[in-house]
Amino acid sequence: MLKNYLTTRFFLTVLLFLSLIYASFSAYYKIRYWGFNFAPNQNSDIWTIEASINFDPTGEPIKILLTTPKTSEQFKVLEENVTAEGYKSKKIVKDTERMQITSPAKEGPQTVYYRVMLFDNVDAKGKTYAKQPQAPEKPVLEEQTEALVKQISDLAKKQEGNKVVQIIKELNQVPGSPAVKALMPVKKTQKELMENLRLILSYNGIPNRVVRGFKLEEDRRSFNPDLMLEAYLNNKWMIYNIVTAEKGLPDNFILFQRGGESLLDIEGGENSSVKFTVLKSITSSLSLAEKRAKLTGHKSWFDYSIYSLPLAEQSTLKWLTIFPLAILVIVLIRNIVGLNTMGTFTPMLISLALVKTGFWPGLICFTLIVAVGLTIRFILSKLNLLLVPRISAVVIFVILIMQFLTVAGYQFDFTIAQSAVFFPIIIMAWIIERASITWEEDGAANAGREIFYSLIAAIVTYFIINDEYIRHIMFAFNEFNLVILCVVMLLGTYTGYRLTELKRFAPLVKEK
Amino acid sequence: MWNPFKNYVSPKRLRESGVMGMNRRNFKVISQYNERRLYPLVDDKVQTKQLAQKAGINTPKMIGTIEFQHEVKNFVNLVQEVKEFVIKPAHGSGGKGVLVIAQHDGEKFIQPSGKVLGYKDIYKHISNILSGLYSLGGKYDVALIEEMVHFSNIFKDYSYQGVPDVRLIVYKGYPAMAMTRLSTKASGGRANLHQGAVGVGLDIQTGKSLKAVMYNKPILLHPDTQADLSKIEVPMWKEHLLIGAKAFEMTGLGYLGADIVLDANRGPMMLELNARPGLAIQIANGIGLIDRLKLVDKKFPKNLSPEERIEFLLNKAKF
Repeated sequence: MLKNYLTTRFFLTVLLFLSLIYASFSAYYKIRYWGFNFAPNQNSDIWTIEASINFDPTGEPIKILLTTPKTSEQFKVLEENVTAEGYKSKKIVKDTERMQITSPAKEGPQTVYYRVMLFDNVDAKGKTYAKQPQAPEKPVLEEQTEALVKQISDLAKKQEGNKVVQIIKELNQVPGSPAVKALMPVKKTQKELMENLRLILSYNGIPNRVVRGFKLEEDRRSFNPDLMLEAYLNNKWMIYNIVTAEKGLPDNFILFQRGGESLLDIEGGENSSVKFTVLKSITSSLSLAEKRAKLTGHKSWFDYSIYSLPLAEQSTLKWLTIFPLAILVIVLIRNIVGLNTMGTFTPMLISLALVKTGFWPGLICFTLIVAVGLTIRFILSKLNLLLVPRISAVVIFVILIMQFLTVAGYQFDFTIAQSAVFFPIIIMAWIIERASITWEEDGAANAGREIFYSLIAAIVTYFIINDEYIRHIMFAFNEFNLVILCVVMLLGTYTGYRLTELKRFAPLVKEK
Repeated sequence: MWNPFKNYVSPKRLRESGVMGMNRRNFKVISQYNERRLYPLVDDKVQTKQLAQKAGINTPKMIGTIEFQHEVKNFVNLVQEVKEFVIKPAHGSGGKGVLVIAQHDGEKFIQPSGKVLGYKDIYKHISNILSGLYSLGGKYDVALIEEMVHFSNIFKDYSYQGVPDVRLIVYKGYPAMAMTRLSTKASGGRANLHQGAVGVGLDIQTGKSLKAVMYNKPILLHPDTQADLSKIEVPMWKEHLLIGAKAFEMTGLGYLGADIVLDANRGPMMLELNARPGLAIQIANGIGLIDRLKLVDKKFPKNLSPEERIEFLLNKAKF
């Protein structure tokens, strides 16, 4: 017995030490050669934007032209590259900068990635210059439209601000004037608004152009670029928000394309779409790391690490790398502290939901769902339903509660309720089902205690996985997952008392 | 000063007192002496019953089983010959899902507490059992209908409803610790200590009470019947021990819990076995388990028959 136990534990201890040595070496390597850092990158001056272009080839040679950002007042292009197998890429610089990606005819749906890294262009602030543009040609309009445009232009003069601001405000006024309503639908798209706005500006002889770009926010995935208007007034180009008429570029806004040319042109392809992903800090420093790795001749390792993956995948992995730590916390809570939670990993899933919803909104929402769910479950128990249909009914009720909370939250502008959708439905249903069974069998106190302990475990897990430092370290130094694995296995041989047992068995202590 | 750990003791003192914790039980005892493949023998009460019959261990007679939902309505046919019966899930644990009917006419079913249930209530209960409500891991289950135990009058004053049973911890075939669990009003007629039943530690050699606890605290009288708990002496103690000892050969489990009830007419009967018996028995006895198990390891002879082991335990063993 003793021998057997010694070997298991000894083996696992050796494994733990080996994993520690490996992790330390790997961490050292990453810091030394890839320039990783234990602290998360807090000065958010480096951004990575990734455009994924999808299309179906038509069978002809493929030529893709993607407008790319150029070094602007705000941002400097650090590095750009194209990831596409069998494609050639070339930068074409004219008035605008475009990336030309070409390939012989291909088959099957194609995905081409373009990645650009930007950082704050401190040197260039206030140095951009612009040529005097020509006045736009007066648009040729139908009689009726012209009348409307003229009417709106006149009405706009009553608004505050410069001419452009006046027109934007007039177009967005709620409720709109009859002329505006006649010109475009009340629920207008950004595109419709932009078209009509430009029409009126051109009619008034103000040079204007469309600007496409992004607000740089962490973890934006698969979105379309925002539209902004640039108009030439009083001898300078100025950017306007087409809804609020705010002047100037918002903070952290990167221009992708200005004026004339379209964002994306594809020859030899159809059904094309382009989606963007923006990521800041860690990936950006990791992208820098790739560059460093190349320079120092340590690149091959990098190619097989998670940091060479496309950004969308990295975003997902950022979550996955924190899971082992959450699992370790659950093991500690159950086997070392000795709290009995509902289901082994239920608290972990609740804590993940809490991260998405925010702490208090999530907690209030959780309590609401469980409370309402339990009430409904008690009514259900009177109907003598079989287990599977009954739990299914509870699942549907949970979905209905979530719908209700979300809609109510939206109507009353009560953001707490809107976080309901982030809770895993099936898990919530099982919590309700288990709690109600415990309630019936062991009484309300025991059911309440079980839920309470599960929540405690979830909250502890939440505070650990929501910490920016811990998240950064677990992602940047993912080899520590291996160490956690060894620690978890070693905990499997722990034969000491649980914290709760120190109280439970206290009466057994022999008095000296 | 407020001290949140006022009621806690140091691990060192628990170790000195030989208290076995959950982790130690799982890692050093259960995973060492209870082979996983043997679990179904005790987790499935139908199998346990069949094994017990082969091994010559007394158990309540099986009236029938219900395996499929469409059979549920036939339960009345199964019980029409008997006056009283018990329905339980074959894979239940901790007394969950056990329904005792003391009297019925095929339409109205009366529980020992006097509560009257209808046909529909029983139907729902059996359906719940089949759909796995009470089984470990929520798997589909079988409902077992067996005859009711007429529990001996000796325990009458010591229990509020329910059947008081004797729990033996059997280690390598030797009963190592014993207690009886008495249901109370607080426990809802159930015999689970965490639900508020009274646990009375029994002297393993005599079957006399050592100590009684409720909610982890020592008590002297039964809270509902006011019976003096220090006067308990389980009759036919040797027969109780013998059932526990035989359960070792019957299942091959080195560490098991045997639940035994005393029937007024048929003597001690094995109700169920448990491959992962709880540790509350230590509290009821006021003694840690580790020392007992070590004693069995070091001093007790191996390769004896169940009868020889009980002879050894009663006459030669020194605790």
